[in-house]
Amino acid sequence: MLAGGAFGGNRGLRPVPPEKGVFPLDHTHECDLEKKEYINCLKSSGYQSERCRGFSKLYLECRIQRNLMAKQDLSEFGFGKEYGMGAS
Amino acid sequence: MQLFHFTGDSVKLLVMGALFNDARHGSLQTVEEKIARHAQDGSAPTREVVVQFNADVADGMPWKFVPTQREVRVKPGESALAFYTAENRSSTPITGVSTYNVTPMKAAVYFNKIQCFCFEEQRLLPGEQIDMPVFFYIDPEFETDPRMDGVNNLILSYTFFKVGEE
Repeated sequence: MLAGGAFGGNRGLRPVPPEKGVFPLDHTHECDLEKKEYINCLKSSGYQSERCRGFSKLYLECRIQRNLMAKQDLSEFGFGKEYGMGAS
Repeated sequence: MQLFHFTGDSVKLLVMGALFNDARHGSLQTVEEKIARHAQDGSAPTREVVVQFNADVADGMPWKFVPTQREVRVKPGESALAFYTAENRSSTPITGVSTYNVTPMKAAVYFNKIQCFCFEEQRLLPGEQIDMPVFFYIDPEFETDPRMDGVNNLILSYTFFKVGEE
């Protein structure tokens, strides 16, 4: 199934770039632990994103601390203080 | 499709941020505005959408590329994180780039990527395995569009193509 749509063909929507840009790859695996904890949470929570938001926040904070994501107040993405420790 | 090449990840972040912000300037609310507005309105129960993940590689692309989780259940207006995993199984460094689509197509307009690994070339060394995150949300307006009645599953599909080999 090759994506005539994804290349801007007539039948599909044109691909839209991500709002905040591209994530650099974590080549040195600095946030592997945070990723694993998030995935494990999903597996044990019926894959409900809401139940694992604390772990998502920790992963994104890890990226921000290591310059793998632009520094931003994560509460702006709906990660309020109730989602765990760590400065936003 | 134009691809942008920059040296240095922090430069990339700044320039990509500026480019993509410009591309969306004026025509759309930012993701932060939408999420904030949804959080304020949102005392009404919101329905759950199951987002499933598909991964493919083009012929001749020697990467293993799979979704790390089979699905994520989200509510419109909530940001969510998902991962793919890619591994270069060849003996040479390979550069790839991905395209994506969302089905059903009528729902694709509501699927918003905040940040992802896509739209830029990614290079993996021989044997290297890497996590590829997608940070996204479903636009809250999905819930009030009558065309979305009965749409409870979205499928996000990425395909990686080889663009370079050393």
